[in-house]
Amino acid sequence: MYMKQNQFNRSASYKIISVIIIAILAFTFAFPLYWIIIGSFKTSAAINATTPQWWPQEWVLDNYRKLFSRQVAALWEIKIPFTGISFTGPEVPAAIRWLLNTVFMSVAAMLLTCITSAMAGYALAKKRFIGRTVVFSLIVCAMALPKQVILIPLLREMASLELYNTIWAVIFPIVGWPFGVFLMKQFSEGIPGEMMEAAKIDGANEWKTFYTIALPLIKPGIGALAIFTFINSWNDYFMQLIMLTSTKNLTISLGIAKLQAENATDFGLIMAGASLAAIPIIVIFLIFQKYFTKGITMGAVKG
Amino acid sequence: MAKNNSMSKALVRRETIAGYAFMLPSLIFFLGFVIYPMVQCVFTSFFDATMNREDIFVGFANYIELFQDKVFLGSLKNTVIIVVVSVPVTCIFSLWVSSVIYDLAGPACSAFRCIFYLPVVTGSVAVAVVWKWMFNNYYGIFNYIGTNTGLIEKNINWLGDERFALGCIILILLTTSVGQPIVLYVSALNNVDQSLVEAAEVDGATKFQCFWKIKWSQIMPTTLYILVITTINSFQCFALIQLLTSGGPNHSTDTIMYYIYYNAFKLYRYGYGNAMGVVLAIIIAVLSALQFKMAESK
Amino acid sequence: MKKRKFMALALSCVMVCSLAACGSKDTGASQPAPAPAPAEKTDDSANNDNNADSQTPADTSADASQAADITLWTYPVGSWGDAATVSGMIANFNAVYPDIHVTVEYLDYTNGDDQINTAIEGNQAPDLVLEGPERLVANWGAKGLMVDLGDLWTDEAKSLIYDSVQSACQSNDGVFYEYPLCMTAHTMAINRDIFEAAGALQYLDEETGTWTTENFQKAVQAVYDYGQTNVGAVYCSGQGGDQGTRALVNNLYGGTFTNAEHTQYTADSEENIKALELLKSMDGINFDASIAGGDEVNMFCNGTFAMAFCWNATQEKNNADQGNINFDVLPMAFPTESGTPQLCGGIWGFGIFDNGDPAKIAAAKTFIDFMANDEKQAVESVKASNFWPVKDLGNIYDGDALMSEYAKFIPYMGDYYQVVSGWAEARTAWWNMLQQVGSGTDVKTAVEEFAATANAAASAQ
Repeated sequence: MYMKQNQFNRSASYKIISVIIIAILAFTFAFPLYWIIIGSFKTSAAINATTPQWWPQEWVLDNYRKLFSRQVAALWEIKIPFTGISFTGPEVPAAIRWLLNTVFMSVAAMLLTCITSAMAGYALAKKRFIGRTVVFSLIVCAMALPKQVILIPLLREMASLELYNTIWAVIFPIVGWPFGVFLMKQFSEGIPGEMMEAAKIDGANEWKTFYTIALPLIKPGIGALAIFTFINSWNDYFMQLIMLTSTKNLTISLGIAKLQAENATDFGLIMAGASLAAIPIIVIFLIFQKYFTKGITMGAVKG
Repeated sequence: MAKNNSMSKALVRRETIAGYAFMLPSLIFFLGFVIYPMVQCVFTSFFDATMNREDIFVGFANYIELFQDKVFLGSLKNTVIIVVVSVPVTCIFSLWVSSVIYDLAGPACSAFRCIFYLPVVTGSVAVAVVWKWMFNNYYGIFNYIGTNTGLIEKNINWLGDERFALGCIILILLTTSVGQPIVLYVSALNNVDQSLVEAAEVDGATKFQCFWKIKWSQIMPTTLYILVITTINSFQCFALIQLLTSGGPNHSTDTIMYYIYYNAFKLYRYGYGNAMGVVLAIIIAVLSALQFKMAESK
Repeated sequence: MKKRKFMALALSCVMVCSLAACGSKDTGASQPAPAPAPAEKTDDSANNDNNADSQTPADTSADASQAADITLWTYPVGSWGDAATVSGMIANFNAVYPDIHVTVEYLDYTNGDDQINTAIEGNQAPDLVLEGPERLVANWGAKGLMVDLGDLWTDEAKSLIYDSVQSACQSNDGVFYEYPLCMTAHTMAINRDIFEAAGALQYLDEETGTWTTENFQKAVQAVYDYGQTNVGAVYCSGQGGDQGTRALVNNLYGGTFTNAEHTQYTADSEENIKALELLKSMDGINFDASIAGGDEVNMFCNGTFAMAFCWNATQEKNNADQGNINFDVLPMAFPTESGTPQLCGGIWGFGIFDNGDPAKIAAAKTFIDFMANDEKQAVESVKASNFWPVKDLGNIYDGDALMSEYAKFIPYMGDYYQVVSGWAEARTAWWNMLQQVGSGTDVKTAVEEFAATANAAASAQ
């Protein structure tokens, strides 16, 4: 860098001070998570002490024991349609079932979203069909729509489809949310027309063109969308609150929220639940961190 | 000529069929679980609808009442405050953080990025419950630190005091929304054309000028994208409000999103709640349209 | 390669979907198990199967072979909110009626109403719910969602169950929507250790559990001066435990919540305004919009507060059992000028949601009949709530010192006004009003607004 000496000093000291401030801020950002995990191992006396214990003097598992001994649910229930035969898993603490429900919900929402959005985004970007602009405008307008707006109609719709109190009532609105389509459209714009033409000349039909030419090109985008949808559905709360009631159908977020409603000041227990909800997703995040950042960035650069 | 025309008609037909065939799976979900309920929402908003009773047509009465309802107007105001405060603050804060950390050594930069992203992955419910504890009037950590350092005179009931509650909600919202913008800005800043920056520095531009004149315009698309996602995010802060304050004290943290829920399941006023939904949807649609106009003109 | 990968993805997706489609789609009708085949044993009945075999012959009443899957949602009424206790009682039930499967969900007072309301809109209302007349009769009953329980209210039942309870369990036009199980008088409580240390015990009558408004003020001041700056809290983050704040306000100067006919809210009376102004002005009494009744109880138990307004026998029993209390709890009536407190009553019982299936309704009625009327079970059901029976069951708490201590408050039981129409809305308006007062709105303005809202709701129904 070609810089005059004093200028260099000024910008260097600005940099150092900023880094220090940001380090402090980063510490405060990480603190709630630290507090959740630490809190879950504290005794109730330490939790309710007016002088907080920054590091627990005594580590106990009571909170987890309490969390797991509260309610039970079957680990899984699989029913074979039309036969009345069903398989019920062993009884486990309800919190484990909630975790399983959450994983199932997030994975299903992720897969469905990726498949439907990839196809729709491709069509919006590459097919000149009648009504394209109308559909796209609808999508753009609906993207920021909070789900509370359609709370009552959606509830009644799910009731009449007999989906209320099933995990599908949560998944379908997530899949319907058009952000994914928008994102995939932006990605698909980059597919070179010549490659598609070439495939057509080789005799490929529409579907084949899509999955041999377009799909490999937009794969990074699908990865970004998958990550985005997974986290979003894992942390979604509102649809779950409205749609799920039975203990065995709850998700982990909803389970924790209920825990708080029942035992508002038993912070140790609530923190144990919060740890259970947060740690798996954080571990996933740390493992796939590289892909996360790459995926998120890609969404923006193309978007 | 005539032949050409029919050819292109055939082409249009083929494209249309193919287009909708590809759109179909997505459209089923989008129309079924977003547009259909939205139409229902608009329709029911003209009725006095409640639990287990035939709906009564009331025309625009719900809408008229809406704009005389102090609580609704208050929650509209709160919604606007949340968006107007949190969107720019998130953008500026994350831009500042990114501008400082983007050229640090690799591990340091990614460590910072990772930490700022943690609250996003932790999830709104877990975040809400721990903040509720930290804000607690009697054994919260804020009051402990505040009183011990002499910053506050006596315990403040953060979430139970009209003057602070909304601010606390916005603060929590901020911590959960800067993660993604920081990741985005860091990579955008890394992608800035270095030759332009160097050229400007040779010309004697200060760091600040350099940033404003060259980098800013190059990261503009990222900024627009961040504006869009942060706005969406700010409208989604239902969980924080429901879990932390339930709209109180004295409706000071009610947002339209929460007030719809409140009207539906505490007051059983479905039609009225739907009318609110329609108003909110219109506001958001206008906002999105504006943002897209902005994006297109850039 | 690419193709195979995509196909694999698609295939796995389809598999997962179909798997789950079967997995989690269950309608109310099929809970908890779709085919109650005789071979299948739920946890509840499994333990008692031998028991059932030996008992059933003795008990071959006409409907012992009734078969249905029903759902019961309970609010935390004593140990009726505790899974272990309830499964025990359901096992007793299944010993007699092995083919009626009962699935229980446990609600809380913070979100329970929202949960039932969404379930009603979702066409999955529970079959049975355990709560009080203010919800079963005045809210869901009035909305036409509940089953008329007239056939459970036989002449015998009517003659046994106390008249005040009987009148609370029916709507204005005389339809019974609730079959009661237990009742109590809600009291308040003080931390006797702190009061003693602060020299405040002189202001109250430990024998009768009463005190005057003036002495209440002095006692609170003494405790506050002693250094316990959080003496008590007028909690108002939601409706949980609001009977405590209502009783406190009404008793201080002898105000009422509604008129005697239960047609109009009278919370804006002079007495109530005076009471609220007094509370607002007292040192040590916080208007706390961040907590509700349940939180207040916990914070009383852990020593944060020196008194609790949301109290009754079961609170003390449950918290003592869980080892949450390490001081001497002294239950008290709410302070009055007149010396005769009007305590807020609580009545709990069962209601049935009309889900359109006669078999389920019949099974639910059988369940109620068993829980509330079976000679042996009724005592156990009431004891599980840790409240008092609604009819004479003999001295079921014989030798129980705690319950004997609380029995002295039963005569102070006041008017059961919770069946006034517009109750759900009025309740919501009540805690909003307290929040307003807490944040500095003029008491008269806030209370008048409350009365206007509540009375509008009352006349709308």
